[in-house]
Amino acid sequence: MKKLFEIFLRAAVVLAGTALVTFTLLWYAPGDPAATIAVARFDSTVSAEIVDKIRIEAGLDAGFWPAFRHWIGPILVGDLGNSSVSGTPIWPEMRTVIALTMPLAMLGMTIGLVISIPLAILAACNQGTWIDRGAIALASLGAAIPGFWLALLLILVFAVKLSWLPAMGTGTARHLILPGLTLGLGVAASLTRILRSALLEARNAPFLPAFIRRGVGVHERALAHITPHAAIPVLTVVGLELAFLLEGAVMVEVVFARPGIGNFLIQAIQARDFPKVQAVVLLTAVLFVVVNLLIDISYHLIDPRVGTQDA
Amino acid sequence: MRELRPIFIIVVLLVGITVFGPFLAPNDPTAIDIPNRLSAPSEVYPLGSDAMGRCILSRLLYGARWSLGLAFLVSTIGLIVGSLMGLLAAMGGRKIDWCIMRVTDIFLAFPDLVAAVVIVGVLGGGTNSLILALSVTSWTRYARVARGIGLGLSSRGYVIQARLVGLSAFSIARWHYMPTLTSSLVVVWTGMLARAILGISALGFLGFGVQPPTPEWGTMLLDARIHILSTPLQMIWPGMAVLLCVLTINITGDVLRDALAKKEIRP
Repeated sequence: MKKLFEIFLRAAVVLAGTALVTFTLLWYAPGDPAATIAVARFDSTVSAEIVDKIRIEAGLDAGFWPAFRHWIGPILVGDLGNSSVSGTPIWPEMRTVIALTMPLAMLGMTIGLVISIPLAILAACNQGTWIDRGAIALASLGAAIPGFWLALLLILVFAVKLSWLPAMGTGTARHLILPGLTLGLGVAASLTRILRSALLEARNAPFLPAFIRRGVGVHERALAHITPHAAIPVLTVVGLELAFLLEGAVMVEVVFARPGIGNFLIQAIQARDFPKVQAVVLLTAVLFVVVNLLIDISYHLIDPRVGTQDA
Repeated sequence: MRELRPIFIIVVLLVGITVFGPFLAPNDPTAIDIPNRLSAPSEVYPLGSDAMGRCILSRLLYGARWSLGLAFLVSTIGLIVGSLMGLLAAMGGRKIDWCIMRVTDIFLAFPDLVAAVVIVGVLGGGTNSLILALSVTSWTRYARVARGIGLGLSSRGYVIQARLVGLSAFSIARWHYMPTLTSSLVVVWTGMLARAILGISALGFLGFGVQPPTPEWGTMLLDARIHILSTPLQMIWPGMAVLLCVLTINITGDVLRDALAKKEIRP
């Protein structure tokens, strides 16, 4: 119980920290933030009075901490605020773009799992053979290819040369194939390596010979001992893959000109729409922290040894 | 040590291209030659020319300075900052450890590329903000590794003894922690170097990287993307350059790790 409390305390501290870092970066951005908002909303000939009005309205006049409170207060009750360019609420717009990115991320994860799980099992079962070496070589190659270049190559082959699939845009399921494949191959590359070594380590665990001699059956060994042992590194990777999927979504959405959270972020940066940028960055970090919190808790459920030493 | 020889050659080759690339380039990388734009490989332009008639081979060779040089700089900054933080966490006692680890957790929560794009986008393009953007999240990996190994060392007899004898914290860090930490940190460094190369090219491709007309591999890919229909070869070369560099560096890291693991097992 004490350990769970410690986990939650950590998550709370980290969440507060991410909010502070997000705010600090945009607070110290070059230029007067109020003027930036004014110029974005009107044009560069905006008068000083309006700039001052905006400064007070956005809580920017009283210094760092009041401005931070002004920003974080509504967010804590679920209001991400308004775009500084259009003045419209951010959350409804963000919800729609997240809904557009979700199928892409899910397809990418699915393709990644479908490729990496059989490949990792094959490699681990044939350790040291050419199958194993081939799987590692493929995974190394996949990890070294820049995602956007892979996307360009896929467009070149499947859209330009073969004209099987559309290169850009959204709409049909066919539009999802190339972006999903780009993401999925990236996921597969990192998952294969980690799954393989997790399986090998679990299979070579020192307690297994003891179980065999004690007469524990094959199925019980596999289900009750090897699987949980291999699950821990895999869980860690799921947390890391989340970051990869988010980064990948930014790249893939730009290359394939798909609307989604990645393009939303890039457009917000280009428009200097800071509230939107802050919302995306903060949401990303919160998602990452929450997922890792869940993973941390499930470690304790899977393996009671975790947390007995200071981690 | 024999298995390290090919690696050594590759590293020398990469460093050589970074340092001497400009001297090997056949043409000026920014010289515009509109009549010969988008040309196929020829004697004048061994890998062809881009949309402004600039020599692609020369741009690749000059670009190495940015793509590899900057990655080297960024991953080394991360190495220094991260290992100092990790050492401090490992040696400073529970409270300092807790605080430092929460700070690393905070910076780990931002995906590298998202953080980098936002930092460059907000602070404006330029080498300084690019360096900050790429190292702001990467130091956390070194810090975690350094702290993890460091904590293990803190309970070792010789470290406790050194402390009891009254050796200064600096001497203990230098002579009792660093020798053990170095090998693992170098392995992390190779991985982060590869990630930095990918990161720089990704930023360049998104238009947030090294600003044109400076040749950089990611920016070259951004330029080449529009001409994918007419001259697909133009986008093959910079991508290959990134791929080969990252691949060789990753393999170097793997070989180093295996070599170090072997060394540790042997008495």
